Amino acid sequence: MGYIRIPITDIFQILITKTASSLYSFKDINETHLAVIMDVRLPRILSCACVGAALALSGVLFQGILLNPLADPYTLGVSAGAAFGACIAIILNLSNAFVSVPVFSFIGACLTLFSVIFLSYSPKNPTAGLSSNNLILSGVIVAAILSAGISFLKFIANEQVSVIIFWLMGSFASKTWSNVFIIMIFLMAGFFVSIFFARDLNLISLGAKSASSLGVDLKKVIFILLLSGSLLAAVCVSISGIIGFVGLLVPHMVRFITGPDNRKLIPLSMLSGAILLLFADTITRAVLPHEIPIGVLTALTGGPVFCWIFKKNRFK
Amino acid sequence: MEIRLHNVSFSYDAGMTIKAFSGSFSSGSFYSVIGPNGSGKTTLIDLISGFLKPLSGNIEINSLPVFSFSKKNLARLIAVVSQDHTVNFPFSVKDIILMGRHPYISRFSLPSAEDIQKVEKLMDICGISHLQDRKINELSGGERQRCVFARALCQETPILLLDEAFSNMDIHHTLQMLQLVKQSVKEKNRIVISVFHDLNLASTWSDSLLVLKEGELRAFGSSTETLTEEIIKDVFQVDSIVEYNQHVHAKQVYYPMH
Repeated sequence: MGYIRIPITDIFQILITKTASSLYSFKDINETHLAVIMDVRLPRILSCACVGAALALSGVLFQGILLNPLADPYTLGVSAGAAFGACIAIILNLSNAFVSVPVFSFIGACLTLFSVIFLSYSPKNPTAGLSSNNLILSGVIVAAILSAGISFLKFIANEQVSVIIFWLMGSFASKTWSNVFIIMIFLMAGFFVSIFFARDLNLISLGAKSASSLGVDLKKVIFILLLSGSLLAAVCVSISGIIGFVGLLVPHMVRFITGPDNRKLIPLSMLSGAILLLFADTITRAVLPHEIPIGVLTALTGGPVFCWIFKKNRFK
Repeated sequence: MEIRLHNVSFSYDAGMTIKAFSGSFSSGSFYSVIGPNGSGKTTLIDLISGFLKPLSGNIEINSLPVFSFSKKNLARLIAVVSQDHTVNFPFSVKDIILMGRHPYISRFSLPSAEDIQKVEKLMDICGISHLQDRKINELSGGERQRCVFARALCQETPILLLDEAFSNMDIHHTLQMLQLVKQSVKEKNRIVISVFHDLNLASTWSDSLLVLKEGELRAFGSSTETLTEEIIKDVFQVDSIVEYNQHVHAKQVYYPMH
């Protein structure tokens, strides 16, 4: 599927040649097709699947830590921080340097995360400091400041305004293998950390005191999982812009099937997130007459689905 | 097994919540903590459980500081039923009680047959077997409290701290749970420290009473010594009549109408 039609047999020939060339190779492969598959489509598909999985995982972690099924990877203002960083890079015209937008947005996201944790942390009462209310409130404040900053940057940006707007809407167009490797590394690390602490995350839903009395080192576990969730969100935003609703919706839907046990929820949410985002990206890329930004598609379709689930659940 | 507090102080902000508290608790006894709202009862429980760190003073279990224990080892020593029994995600009752075995199950292993057996036995004893597949957040306050209670008992700790653990239970279940706790104090030589609002239940069921007022220990001893009209007037600012009641074999408090 896509602008250039490539027969499915050719795709398999190319993939086999590339992965197992020592075993078997096809002679008559079209060079253009090879380039399209290996340099354009495969990195796009893989980075899209990884971002989907990472956003879903990040959503599970945030909902678990903040004890709020409505939390998502962007609750703590990570997306606003990333967007702010990206806007600065675009305005300073560093985008020619090609790595600078992702790097700036990643730095922006990390700085936001640390300021949110700094705001909600009180050295006197460390466990109560990182409570969900404090974190959400700090996140909202920081995000509000940053979005005003973004508006200001748009205001002074002149002709780069359209670049900023398109970046913010999110896209997987022109992803490279280096993007795939970066997100893959973060995703694997995030997965191992969260599976390691999955049972502690279950206990955290009993509330701080009960979790603590059952042997969970709250301060450590919350900090590590918060950091993992935010880094995952940050790397996603830096690679593909802001893609909403995947992190919010996927853990929610998977929870209906698996129940709230994070040991099942984490792997299944990652899988579903990857499939869902890949599906959405394929629609924007190949089915629709014009490619629309994926962030717009996920919000336009995810939003109503979420409304429906929310309403249905309230009256069950 | 002995818990010893020496000169323990704690404050959240400006005012002291616990002032220079000293006292010790030993095995095979049921202690009750009574006092008006904001007198530091919950704070005392949180300090003993290691959830809060004292500003000054020492808290020791068997002569070792509470903070020298790892979280997991502490969870094998002390179980807590806290006032807040809301659960934020729809876990089943059985899952919740199984969480009481958390300190005994190593990180990547599944609960053993023995763990499951203990969970089932306790659900049976606490009368919540019929609820085991229900979701915890769909239960009533009293039912949920019984589940939390069963979870704490499932931890099989020598020390059990109860913070108004009976506040939402009906009288039938309150007495049933108290009977259960009292029995384990005698048979398993446990230390139980329970925060009560009902002075009569506290007097009937416990071996010793701690009376707190504004973070200070006002009286500590058997209910015969501590439960007097003067102390109740001083601590709660209410007039009362305290009499020995032969049906419960303990002092009971009555509040006369004016």
